[in-house]
Amino acid sequence: MDQIIDFLLRWVHFFGGIIWVGHNYASMIQRPAFRPPSREDLGDEQSPVYMTLLGREHGTFRYAAIVTWLTGVGMLWQRGVLLDAVSLNGYQAVIGIGFWIGTLMLANLWLVLWPNQKKVLGFAPAPLEERVRCARITFLSSRTNTMLSIPLLFFMAASQHGTALFV
Amino acid sequence: MKTPFDTATGTIALGMLLTLVLFLIARWLVLGG
Repeated sequence: MDQIIDFLLRWVHFFGGIIWVGHNYASMIQRPAFRPPSREDLGDEQSPVYMTLLGREHGTFRYAAIVTWLTGVGMLWQRGVLLDAVSLNGYQAVIGIGFWIGTLMLANLWLVLWPNQKKVLGFAPAPLEERVRCARITFLSSRTNTMLSIPLLFFMAASQHGTALFV
Repeated sequence: MKTPFDTATGTIALGMLLTLVLFLIARWLVLGG
């Protein structure tokens, strides 16, 4: 039964992670450089740029991030190594670093990107100047998570298949 | 102000560099400091 739970958690963890980080990768491919929205675009709720921004906003990847984090923690807890991982103890330090990177990414998404994105989209009241400035912050926040996903995937893989790297 | 995040290559390069640094730290932790 433990193995089945571990397997199911891992499957959902992969699926959620691909949805989450897939959004970051898609963003990097579709918009490789930052294009600031103009004041006119943000000020006119019918403008094509604003409509595109709105169309792009969906909570899927924000909630996928939570599912990914919870299933990751669930796997560590179910295997009885959560504390060792979090405290970077012994070989569990490998997945422990993955845990801390993932936690940082989740915090970045919910505490930096989303509050700023809400202002860009007009969900939270903010002057036009600030909304344009927030667009740059959301770009950098998204790119930070894209960068962090690279070591995160390394440590996920290394924790299960990388013992030869740590001898 | 331009940053390495303004290109895909810069973002990936930073990620690889960070991976190397963190790998060395992890190795140091696992092998007992």
